[in-house]
Amino acid sequence: MDLSPREVVATAPRGRKKPWFAYAVLALVLIAGGVVVAKFLTSALDYYCNVDEVGVKDGCDEGRNIRIQGTVEQGSVETNDATTNFIITFNGASMPVELGSEPTGLFQECIPVVVTGKVLRADDGTRYFAGEEVIVKHDNQYDAENEERLDEANAEAAACSRKG
Amino acid sequence: MNHFGPTSTRFTRALGVATILGLGWLAVFGLLLSPDDVVQGSYARLLYIHVPSAWLAYLAFGVTGLASGAYLWPRTRSMQWDRIAGASAEVGVLFMALALVTGSLWGKVTWGTYWTWDSRLTTTAFLFVTYIGYLAVRDLGGSHEQRARRSAVLALLAVLEVPLVHFSVSWWRPLHQAETIERGGLKGLMLFSFFVGMIAFTLLYVWLVMHRQRLMMLNDMIDDSGLDRALAERRNEVAP
Amino acid sequence: MIALRNAAHVVGSYAITFAAIAVYTWNLLRRARKAARQVPVEDRPWT
Repeated sequence: MDLSPREVVATAPRGRKKPWFAYAVLALVLIAGGVVVAKFLTSALDYYCNVDEVGVKDGCDEGRNIRIQGTVEQGSVETNDATTNFIITFNGASMPVELGSEPTGLFQECIPVVVTGKVLRADDGTRYFAGEEVIVKHDNQYDAENEERLDEANAEAAACSRKG
Repeated sequence: MNHFGPTSTRFTRALGVATILGLGWLAVFGLLLSPDDVVQGSYARLLYIHVPSAWLAYLAFGVTGLASGAYLWPRTRSMQWDRIAGASAEVGVLFMALALVTGSLWGKVTWGTYWTWDSRLTTTAFLFVTYIGYLAVRDLGGSHEQRARRSAVLALLAVLEVPLVHFSVSWWRPLHQAETIERGGLKGLMLFSFFVGMIAFTLLYVWLVMHRQRLMMLNDMIDDSGLDRALAERRNEVAP
Repeated sequence: MIALRNAAHVVGSYAITFAAIAVYTWNLLRRARKAARQVPVEDRPWT
């Protein structure tokens, strides 16, 4: 009888992925998971400050990079060559925004937005928000578009600035 | 000869036909019959594929968790539970990927950006990455029992992320909208179209999981037969 | 009826979704056919 040690043959299942591929995927998953957790802890929890919290709430300070949320005031949007200016309001407080980029998405008057940038002081001492990017924050209510609803929507839009 | 594939039965063929009809209905209601939204216009139609994709991913990961629990519980331990868990996770990853892609496309035209690190998007990305990791862990090698045990433990931990993702819009301040369906945000034909999407995707999920777990069973049988053959060869070698 | 101004984006998203489902399904059935060649019909519990 032959009692010499047998050569070990790998028994990876036929036609299936090799374990090294799974290990490589797992390594990538761990890296990606670490990045996502870091993002969660640094920017996802307190995604934005409301307009009325600027200079009041911890982390919503002047001169710091923050995201600020408010509703675009009706009649306040002015577009120049390089900038778009508008006012956002929330809970009775308002903040002029000077946006250095073109607003995209559903950006319009009377819609809630989140703007990324810094609160700065103008020469006359008034505060304004130097925005880099604006993101539209639509709500969870959907209404069918028809003539009757359009009238209602127009009425709501007309009243939006007064609600602020 | 089964012309519908070796993993099909009369039931899965009927289910497959119902799924195709359901997806056809989804296309008709989602693209043609449902009305535009006052604010979003036609873009609101993305809801009928985005939200069912996300919900089916939650369901799939929930089933993976339950099946994994059933595998680990000594009284119900069976490799069948492990295969259902694995099949459901793989289909769940497909639905989660669809939810991320359609959400990203929807975000570009409504929010103005494909991606932002808010709490809902970040936790969803983490859930997606976790279940890709779960699928990788299933492929690490070893016996079927080792595969089943280690992946079941991981699945029971991973499923805890599902409520974190779902309630992230309530617990923190996200850019993502709050729960739409639970808070009555859809009405009339829009709500009906959403349910058409839910039914179609649920049928699809069941069909895919049935076929996928049967494929896993075939692969396990092939592995076992390879081991049996190797043992038989070894016995023949030592036989006088 | 879908407004033409947004049709490409919306229809494209539906097309990506259905295409992804079709590709996954096709690949699943292809792998099943390949694996089934090595397993006798009488050994498959669902038959």
